[in-house]
Amino acid sequence: MSETVRATIDGKAIEVPKGTTVIQAAAQIGIDIPRFCYHEDLPIDGNCRMCLVEVEKMPKLQIACNTQVTEGMVVHTESDKAKQAHRTTLEFLLVNHPIDCPVCDQAGECYLQDQYMDVGLHDSKVEPEEKVHKRKVVDLGPIMLDAERCVLCSRCLRFEEHVTGTNSFEFRNRGDHTQIATFEDRPITHNYAWNLADVCPVGALLSHDFRFKMRVWFLEPTDSVCPGCSTGCNIHVDHRDEEVHRLRPRRNVEVNKSWMCDIGRVEYKEIALDTRVTAARVRRGAGWEETTVATALDLVTEKILAAPRASAFLATPQATNEDVYMFRLLSERAGGMLDFRVGNPQERTQVREDNVLLRADRNPNTTGCVDQGIGRSGVDAILKACASEAVKVLVLQGAELLADPGVAAAAAKVPFVAVMASHEHPELAKAHCVLPAAVWAEVDGTFTNYQRRVQRIKRAVAPPGAAVPRWELAAGLVARLGEPIALSSARDVFALIARDVKVYSGLDHRLVGATGRALGGPAAAEARV
Amino acid sequence: MAAGVITVNRDTKPGLWPVMLGMGLVFSNMIKTMFGKELATIQFPEQKRPTSSRYRGIHVLTQREDGTPKCVACYMCATVCPAECIFIEAGERPEKDIEKYPTRFEIDLLRCVYCGFCVDACPEEAIVMSRENDLVGTTRAELIIDRDRLMDRGKLMEYGAGYRPSDHDVRRPVRIAALERLKREHGIVPGMPEPRSGGGRPAPR
Repeated sequence: MSETVRATIDGKAIEVPKGTTVIQAAAQIGIDIPRFCYHEDLPIDGNCRMCLVEVEKMPKLQIACNTQVTEGMVVHTESDKAKQAHRTTLEFLLVNHPIDCPVCDQAGECYLQDQYMDVGLHDSKVEPEEKVHKRKVVDLGPIMLDAERCVLCSRCLRFEEHVTGTNSFEFRNRGDHTQIATFEDRPITHNYAWNLADVCPVGALLSHDFRFKMRVWFLEPTDSVCPGCSTGCNIHVDHRDEEVHRLRPRRNVEVNKSWMCDIGRVEYKEIALDTRVTAARVRRGAGWEETTVATALDLVTEKILAAPRASAFLATPQATNEDVYMFRLLSERAGGMLDFRVGNPQERTQVREDNVLLRADRNPNTTGCVDQGIGRSGVDAILKACASEAVKVLVLQGAELLADPGVAAAAAKVPFVAVMASHEHPELAKAHCVLPAAVWAEVDGTFTNYQRRVQRIKRAVAPPGAAVPRWELAAGLVARLGEPIALSSARDVFALIARDVKVYSGLDHRLVGATGRALGGPAAAEARV
Repeated sequence: MAAGVITVNRDTKPGLWPVMLGMGLVFSNMIKTMFGKELATIQFPEQKRPTSSRYRGIHVLTQREDGTPKCVACYMCATVCPAECIFIEAGERPEKDIEKYPTRFEIDLLRCVYCGFCVDACPEEAIVMSRENDLVGTTRAELIIDRDRLMDRGKLMEYGAGYRPSDHDVRRPVRIAALERLKREHGIVPGMPEPRSGGGRPAPR
């Protein structure tokens, strides 16, 4: 344990490691000091002067973000002097700020609005005609810039310098004509552009994708994990009336800090597509016949029982640990072959796509599949058995597996192919039974990321039509094959995983917690972002 | 005798007098309605009952000089609406000085409770109310009225303007009376809100 210092903030005693700043120490005891330029995951700049606090025996107010806590320090964040300083600083920041709140997408999550409600000088001394006007509605590709709303906190400059290393933004002009801009208004081209809209404390940088779509106060956030790659960035799923409107990074220092990539951020668009599979269907001659999930499961069971030890199962690393566990149980009950390494994602789990977050393996749960020992029979052996017509029943856990030409060719040779599909896929024409599956935002469960960190995903919206989580489909088949297991939720399935899989032993959904739980093993030693 | 039981004497006859009184009222009303000038009955729909200038009838979307809606699609009305009857879809205007406008603005008049909160919430005086109050339709869908019908002032303003924020003659006395009552009964003088104590703001992103 390193050296600690003791101090008092607003009458509360606190002991923190040496080097902790006042704003960090205050956050630990739930005191929120107003700020614009300070961001937990960016270097300290100290330019906005909003976080001024009164420190006893110091002649002047100090900025909380860049003042280290020292032994015996007594800090007042709510004193009249501090409040007056906040009010005066805010007055300066608002001198040239446009009265844009009705059309500004930041309204509702804007630091300026929040501070104004707390300490604002409610009668402005500035006439709207006197304000300095700057450039508005500047299209920077994924980002919209409104220089007039900017408070010049330089968070975006620091993000560009220290996180992406692209240095797109600069300050231009001087005095109250200072504004941020990119060189020659060039668009932001890197893969982390929408983080700029998140780091911007005001409405100067806004996401083009979310522009005018929804007012943020209507949205309800659900904590989840991005399914876009094996990094497993922690996210908020913002939804309203069973529709997901945006994904937003959730801070987790161990995984993604406060960032996520734009590729992950558009994952929500897949959820509400009209190509979703909403009902079970079985092949009748040349066409399809829509049926209930129960009837379809009866049919699959019948086919599995009719071909003892001649079935094969392909799992997908897109599925949650719970889905994968039930799928494995199903394959064991049916006595069939099982694997998941279609296209061999396992080898690429550790490969970085760039030097920030994105990884080459675009599956969120490859490590979870490995942990549960799904890679058993070998994909090549399964495909060969299919091609030689030794396999009579093939069950696929995802329609995307059919995108692999080898699987599609092998499936054509199998007399009965059942697919748990969330979206329509042209290759589904080769299937004989399609079971409607829910996607990640519609289920509870866990993903294990490349670091072997198990993280919770939570159900944000309801699945469309008759779609159910994949583990329920597998559990339905297991029950029909005899020996039903009493399961009512993904948490019950996770309890079975904790019982049967060694690295997960003793864990529970609740113990995994909001920011996940790192498990032992070789992957955990891998360097973190 | 048990409590709550009333004994009525049926032996006394009421006589003719109460009947005469009743009939007198009937005939006086009959003569008033036949020959009088101040009739309670009006010939609706040709004739309409006069309403006050604060009457909260069907909403009107006001326009700019070029005929585009004043509304900037800020969703304040939809947020405050207790009946959740306002549906807005925002779009981008080509003019950069306004940026945002409603591509769709619909009010479900069957859900609306005509409280006027939308008028109060609007920062642009874009939504006001008319005195139009006869609402007829053959289907429910017909009574979900869209942006163009809400902007059709000629039809909606036939009976004059209703509740609107710019009407100071109407609203000032009401507001002053409310402020006075607040001061008299609760000792509150509204001004700058009390600063909130720390921890009220959600965690920064």
